[in-house]
This record gives sequence, structure tokens and C-alpha cells, in this order.
Amino acid sequence: MEKLTIALAKGRPAKHTIETLEAADMQFIDFHEKSRKLVFYNADESIKLIFVKAVDVPTYVERGAADIGIVGKDNILESRAEVYELLDLGIGKCKFSVAGFPDYTIDANRPLTVATKYPNVAEKHFSRKGQEIETVKLNGSVELAPLIGLADVIVDIVETGNTLKENGLAVLEDIDDISTRLIVNKASFATKATEVRSFIDQLNHALERTP
Amino acid sequence: MQQKKERLSNQAVRSYKIKSQLIRKLRTRFATYGYEQVHTPAFEDYDTYASIQKTVNKNEMIKVIDRSGKVLVLRPDGTIPITRSTALDREINGSEQRLFYIFNVYREQGGNGSSKESTQAGVELFGNKQPEADAEVIALAVHTLKEIGFDNFKLEVGHAGFFKELVEQANLTDDELQQLEELIQSKNMVEMEPFLKQLKISEELQQALYAIPLLYGNPQAVLEETKAIIRNEHMQEVLNNLKDVTEVLADYGILEHLTLNLGLINNMHYYTDIIFQGFVENIGKPVLMGGRYDQLGEQFGKAMPAIGFAYEVDVVLEALKQHKRIEDNNNPPLQLLYVPEARGNAFSAAKLLREQGYPVITKPLDRDAEQAGIIFQANGRVVVNGMEHQVKTDDELLNIVEQATGGV
Repeated sequence: MEKLTIALAKGRPAKHTIETLEAADMQFIDFHEKSRKLVFYNADESIKLIFVKAVDVPTYVERGAADIGIVGKDNILESRAEVYELLDLGIGKCKFSVAGFPDYTIDANRPLTVATKYPNVAEKHFSRKGQEIETVKLNGSVELAPLIGLADVIVDIVETGNTLKENGLAVLEDIDDISTRLIVNKASFATKATEVRSFIDQLNHALERTP
Repeated sequence: MQQKKERLSNQAVRSYKIKSQLIRKLRTRFATYGYEQVHTPAFEDYDTYASIQKTVNKNEMIKVIDRSGKVLVLRPDGTIPITRSTALDREINGSEQRLFYIFNVYREQGGNGSSKESTQAGVELFGNKQPEADAEVIALAVHTLKEIGFDNFKLEVGHAGFFKELVEQANLTDDELQQLEELIQSKNMVEMEPFLKQLKISEELQQALYAIPLLYGNPQAVLEETKAIIRNEHMQEVLNNLKDVTEVLADYGILEHLTLNLGLINNMHYYTDIIFQGFVENIGKPVLMGGRYDQLGEQFGKAMPAIGFAYEVDVVLEALKQHKRIEDNNNPPLQLLYVPEARGNAFSAAKLLREQGYPVITKPLDRDAEQAGIIFQANGRVVVNGMEHQVKTDDELLNIVEQATGGV
């Protein structure tokens, strides 16, 4: 048996993912939320978990530092990593949306200024629509951008829409559904086919059992 | 030991040496399959590339304007110029040609200068459309992958005709086609289903398209599964072709290294039939890509069957580095040190040794510095590893050096 390395996003989603793995009979005994360790093994050490920043998970997988990654679709889309995307874990559900003032209409004849943490996602969405844009890359408080005139609209993750509402903004259009996905390195899928597939099957069964 | 450390610190020498060793290995192996090396100019006519649809993205080409205002492009690909020169060579007239090339290709992809340049080493076999030709080229790919030193690698084999046929029936817009290609390339079954549902195509066709990314794995099993989605005669021909090639490959004894992947799509749209990509453990990008491109010759006025592949040499080097497969057989040059009286002697000895193939550096002996090497004293005395020899003839010198170094 070849060993598998799985990259997980640190933080809140990690706990959820570990629970799913444990439901699939993969136990990581020394894992607990408060731990600062970044590497964990299962009982027979056939699986190594590594914890990395969510945005880095696709890179780890694409470059082979991990065979498999479990991470939000938002990070996969933004990274443009060339990987297989094989499962939807059905957790962390939200949306990529374009948001702005409720009465804002997009003028197709001039470049739109878009503030976002996800410039690649924004560019892809608008280029498909044939809308020219100028992106303003921000690292947080994106909702502020239209209020202070930094941008016409924003592209961001929307969960409940409460943050938007409180800032007087509304969703103008949806881009993509987001949830936690399982991604696989293309070479590992070929060269460690048995191990990768049995891991995915195991996880899939567990997902089907949980409602 | 001191010397060796010093030499290793020169990164440029070291990385070039590793690259040239790899290239030498590929060149030798390509040649033993009867392929002959060709070269094409780095600057090409822009119009040649711009007129060939769906190959290299125009924005990725690096353009240069010459004095007369003509637009040139730094060759972005090896297959196109070699196909052109073969098509335009009137004396060949359809006879089989086995050619290989090792040169740089240039693409605009952000980053600094070095990331725009990459070395490709590839082969092209023209004038043979038999399954034996496909298998020969695939076998050569497997042979070289093994020889480079990868334990765990797979060659994924697919067929461009399959996907093209289904897509033709579906009548998609460019945007839909691109989305579909992305979904298939990432085997994204989750989003594939709703995507196919909203297309205005028959349920049967939806099922066939949905099956494509899953047609992956052991060749015999996949060939069997594929039967289920055959919709017309052309698709049956494609399946037969895959089966024929697989049978020849079985006789090469390399089926264990092959995976059929009908979800394989190559962005170079000149491929018409068999396509393949080589993957080595942990490296998410293919180290080699290839396939059959029987229609490309027509662009240059002559239809001719053709199949080939190319290694991305820099990706291979990256993989070797990651797998720690780089052997350090860096032999430092011999140091010949001499006292002033023996300078002439040392120079003629150096010439003799160089003619035998030894790398040699000559230097005056400096008693204060820590120098290691073969020391030429006055009166024909030579000190090697602390032992003094009286050397009279060339043969005696060669013997001593050979014993001390283990030969060239």
C-alpha cells in the first residue's frame, strides 16, 4: 500500500472534515481542535493529514505535496489549479455572487470596477459575459468598497446575505455554488489509483449514510 | 574533497549538467528507435500560426517585428514547424519519416523571462497510420520514462475522436464547449450533471457525455465499458482503433504502465485520434504529451498521417529534483600542479591526458595554499596521492593517472 497525504484547510472547516473522515472509519486519535500540530496520522499510518491555509490547499495538491485535498470550491476556482474535482462533501455551502447597491445596473459600455478577494473568479465571470472589468484586489471588508466609491460592485462569498444587507447592499447576480470539495492530484489518480479510489469510496459511503 | 564542494556551489554549471545528461539520454534512445534529429528556426512567420485554428492561443505567442515591419513569432510549438518542413519537402513523397527535435519553445505566460522559455524533446513519425505506428511511439515514450528513472509512472491514453464526435452531435456554443471541456478535464461529476441537464440535447447524448470522464482505468475494462456509449459507426471505428493499438501495446509488454482515459482532452486541437500524456508520481502536470494529428499536414498542402510526442524537459527536471533522482556524478577536472622547472612537462602531460578525454586544469604549485592534485616536480618526478613516481614515458603517466582516478 502506498501512503496517501491529504491536505486540509485549517480552521473551522477542518473539524467538520475530520468528523466526516471519522464517520468513514478513519480515526485520527491525537487530533483535537486546540492542537497546534499540523501533521496527523491515522492508526496504521497509511494516511497522513496535513493542515495548511485554505487558499494553499489547491496548490499543495496540484504540485503533488498532497495527493488529495479537501477545500472550499471558492479556493479551487480562484487558484485555477489543474486537479481532479471528484466529490462534493456537501458542507460549507454558500455562493459566489456579484453584489452592489440594490438599484445598481451594470453598464455594458464601460469597464466595471470590481472589488474582490477573488480576482480570477471575477475576471472569468465577467469575461464570459463580455463585460470589461477592472479589479481591485482587497483582503477583507470587501463590502465597504461600493460604499466609499472604491468600486461599482463586489464579487464575494455570500452565505446568508446579512452582512450585505447591513451595509445596504444586495446580491445582483449569482456566479457559482460553493461547498467543500475533494480534489485529487492528476498524477496520484493514475499512479496510486487503488489507494486514491478506495479512500474516495470510503468517504462517499460515509457521506451517503449521513443525511 | 575541498575542490568538490567548491565546484558544486556553481548552480549554473550543475543544473546545466543535469539537463544535458537528461537530454543526452533522450537523444540516444530516440536514435535507437531509428529517429533522426532535425532543427527548425526559432523565428517563424506569424501568419503560419495565426492561420492554424485552435492550437496556440494568439495571446500566448511572443511576437517580434522585423525591420520591414513583418511580424514574426518565436516558435511556440515543435510539431507545427516540423510538420510544415516535412510537408513542403517534395522529395519525401509520402515515405515514412522518423524525426526528433530538442529545442526551446516560447510562450507568454506571465512571470519573468525564464518562464517564457521551455525546452521540449519530441519525436514525430510521419507517413504511417497503422496501429503499429501508434504503439511504437507510445512504447518509445514508456521506454524513455523508465530510463529517466521514474519507478511509478503512468501513460494515460485517450482518443480525440471520441469527444469530438459527441460534441459535434451536441451543437454547443463556444462558451458551453469550454465549460464542458473544463468539467471533463477535472472529472467534475458533481457539476457535470446539472450542466448537461440544462443543455438542449437528448438524454442519450447526455448519458454518453456524462460517461466520458468515468471511462478511466485498466485498458481491457475500459474498452468493455466504452461499448455502452457507442452511438454510430464512427464511434465504433474509434473504439476499434483503440482496441487495435492496445493489442499491439500488449505485445510490447507495457500494458501495466498504461491507463485508458477517455476524458483526456488536449488543448492543442490538431490532434485527431489517439492522444496520450505521461504522468510521474506526485507531479500534477504531464511530463510528456502527444498524439496522432493526421490533418495538420493539409494546412501546408499535403495530407499525411503523423503521430508524435514531446517531453517538457523542465517539468521532468523538476520531477527528478522532487523525487531526489539526481545522481551526483560530478567528476571535477584533474588538477596538474607544477614547479617552475616542470612547467613544460606538465603542459605536455595535460595535452596527453586531454586527448584521452580527461578534463584537466594546470596551475603553478603554491606551497602555501592547500592544493590537491598531481604534482609535477623537477627531473620527471610526479607525486600522486602522496606517492612519488619516476615517470619516463607517456604510458607510465597514463597508468598512474588511471590508477589514481579510476580512468575517464
